[in-house]
Amino acid sequence: MAAEESTSDQLGRSTALRIQHLKGRLFEVALVAATLVGIVSLLALFAQISSDAFQPGSASATWFLVYLGTLVAPTAAFTLYARRRPAVRETNALAFAAVFGGLLFSFVIYAVVDALSPYDVFTYVFFASLPPALVVAYDRMTDDRTYTGPAIPASMIVGISVAALLYDLIRGPIGIAAEWIMYFGLVTVPAALLIGALTASRRGRRSGVIAGGVVVIGGLAVAVASIVTGTNASFLVVFFSAFVVPTGYVLWRSVRTDPEGRTGVAGPFILLGGALLGAVIVGRFGIQNPDTFLTPTLLLDSWDGLTASEAGVYPQIVGSIVIVGFMAVLAFPVGIGAAIYLEEYAPDTGLRGRLATLLEVNISNLAGVPSVVYGLLGLALFRRTLGFGTGIVFSAAGTLGLLILPIVIVSTQEALRSVPDSLRQGSYGMGASRWQTLREVVLPEAIPGTLTGTILALARAIGETAPLVIIAVATTKYSPPSGLFSSATALPLQIFAASANAKPEFRHGVVPAAAVVLLILMLLMNATAIVIRNKYGREN
Amino acid sequence: MSSESNEAPSLQRSGFVVRKERFYGRLIAACAVLTIAVTVGIILALSGQALSFWSQISPIAYFTGTSWSPVIAQDYGVLPLVSGTLIVTVFSALIALPIGLAAAIYLSEYASEKARSILKPSLEILAGVPTVIYGYMALVYVTPMIDQFLPFSAQLIPPGVPVLPEFTLVMPSLGTFNALSASIVVGIMIIPMVSSISEDALSAVPDSLREGGYGLGSTKFDVSTKIVVPSATSGIVASYVLAISRAIGETMAVTMAMGMSPQMPYFPNVLRNLAESSQTITAAMVQIAGADSLGSGPTYEAMFALGITLFAITLTMNILAEVVRRRFREEY
Repeated sequence: MAAEESTSDQLGRSTALRIQHLKGRLFEVALVAATLVGIVSLLALFAQISSDAFQPGSASATWFLVYLGTLVAPTAAFTLYARRRPAVRETNALAFAAVFGGLLFSFVIYAVVDALSPYDVFTYVFFASLPPALVVAYDRMTDDRTYTGPAIPASMIVGISVAALLYDLIRGPIGIAAEWIMYFGLVTVPAALLIGALTASRRGRRSGVIAGGVVVIGGLAVAVASIVTGTNASFLVVFFSAFVVPTGYVLWRSVRTDPEGRTGVAGPFILLGGALLGAVIVGRFGIQNPDTFLTPTLLLDSWDGLTASEAGVYPQIVGSIVIVGFMAVLAFPVGIGAAIYLEEYAPDTGLRGRLATLLEVNISNLAGVPSVVYGLLGLALFRRTLGFGTGIVFSAAGTLGLLILPIVIVSTQEALRSVPDSLRQGSYGMGASRWQTLREVVLPEAIPGTLTGTILALARAIGETAPLVIIAVATTKYSPPSGLFSSATALPLQIFAASANAKPEFRHGVVPAAAVVLLILMLLMNATAIVIRNKYGREN
Repeated sequence: MSSESNEAPSLQRSGFVVRKERFYGRLIAACAVLTIAVTVGIILALSGQALSFWSQISPIAYFTGTSWSPVIAQDYGVLPLVSGTLIVTVFSALIALPIGLAAAIYLSEYASEKARSILKPSLEILAGVPTVIYGYMALVYVTPMIDQFLPFSAQLIPPGVPVLPEFTLVMPSLGTFNALSASIVVGIMIIPMVSSISEDALSAVPDSLREGGYGLGSTKFDVSTKIVVPSATSGIVASYVLAISRAIGETMAVTMAMGMSPQMPYFPNVLRNLAESSQTITAAMVQIAGADSLGSGPTYEAMFALGITLFAITLTMNILAEVVRRRFREEY
């Protein structure tokens, strides 16, 4: 026993072993350093770029103290409080998502619809949604479901075609109505229907009708009030329906149904209130603000290449959103369809099996094709073959759509693959057909994974520059795109073009601020995707 | 009850339902086949214009010419552009390949579950940042930061050594546009490509191999470097090839940071290549697209010739990666 102990002691102390040990430790440290070096250098560059954009050095020390007191300290205290209580933390996260998501959503909706003309958008949305609504109503009344499935998209296409054909005829009468009525129809009515349906599913039909009615009446009241006071009725209607209503609903439900976590609702309001209070104090006592370049002018004006204080990227931001949004409409159905075919339909063997293998190899190759080559494809396809104008929204969206198609397909395939086969077998066992199984069982299970992949694809697309340069999308435009066939512009293009401007207030000011806007858009998308992945990944 | 017993319900689906299902199946099959159409479209679009280009400019002049000056001198020699692309690719690979592999080893062998859950998404962000922002950061921040330490010279072979000539390695100070800062940011953005694919390969190595190593008394260092990494070689090599292919196709960062002056490489002082501006294949395409919006003429068509050159290179590399992965994969 004693002998054994001494040998193990000797082993422990032997120099060779100690060297081994040291080598292992050094290796691990090197690995950690290598993992961190990329992240840290990127963070350092982000810090530089945001320091140029915000110019924190130009603020007085009091300014930092004020915001430390009103904004940072309360938020930090609340976060610490919430951290120990899972229920509060969850409600807090939900409230944050509802408040800031609703805020962002209402601004984006208003900016995009305003750019595309509310009357046109209303006309097309109305004609695209009325026929399917009638089909669904018929389905509800007669209980005859055989034709509903195919009839919905078919009637939608018919509606859009009718609107396009009779555009001149319809546009006149619709043009008479006030602008806010368009927004009311576009945002408030869907919001009311959504809230009504949600309430109805929880507390019965009567409450649903009442809830929907409250939203409609509230929207009307907001419109009337803003007309009386002479403010922008259109924006307030959108703000009410896309921010106040959904946020109010989510918060009210958390407070009502979640007694443990209900304090979490306060999180976003502590942040917003702190920011407002800080601004009031700073304004009141004349404290030196930082000379930030991330100003309302930057976000709401068009580009001015001469004076930095008047340069803005509003047309570029809206252009990017319109391009990426239309790209999603074009690419996601095709990508998801292709993924469904490859995962659920394609056989493993025979001629079609070989076709499926070929498709898989082809898709992984497409994912590796440089984005600049997609630009050439877009140039040849949209400008040469289809004869579209130079740099219009449609070509830009189509080109980016082709570019992200492989990403969408691969991520959807992964999501579909993670749905357990037992669910499919159970559905077949109950007599469901392949399509029914897909629609009712497989797709609902695969939604979170698909959503993650598609949002990441959107984040990739919003930063893509090279293909847009190749298809000659304009860099500087003074108004956002007014339709799918009007010339487009995008945020990354403006950054590329302005990088040549060597004036210090541009090079270390406006352009970094525009880059920060682009980064925030992209990081928000990434964060959303990660949150969805973590939330649903844990449950499975 | 009585009606049920009298006539059994038909188990046959109605003709409409069967036709509907078949239609849906064909519709999504069409979506899948569309991806083939994209590939065919790329090849047709590129080759049509490129062939028209090569009927005016001889392919020999294109592939062996040492001067690229499409607008001024009508010179269409691709070699300077290939050299620019090679410089960026080699130096970004020097940065990204070791770092990416080390990160993959750390994530797969050493990291705790919690560290992994933070580090993996953070690494993915490196690839998600828009390349135009990388380009801007290289131009405005990286170049001045590195330039502080330059010029720098090291006497590799001092005078008086027999046979060998005296040789001093000189790194001159950086120009506004230079290959070094471009290579650094390209290297950073392809790290996740190496780390995530390599990590998949490392994680796929079965635990029994690791346990065998530990059972023989190996340290974790030995198990990682002598068992796990060699077992995953095929995946690691595939990740390297894919990352290099991504670096070759990278456009905005190199256009913005490296400039637009095509250059044959300098010998023997290779570091001078890093300090000066040159042009990659992709940057030349951007330059033509930005300057020439006429839609015809040899300069415009040269863009497609460059495109098909680039497409051929990256396609070859992607296929190579796939072959390496399939051919040399160890089956467990």
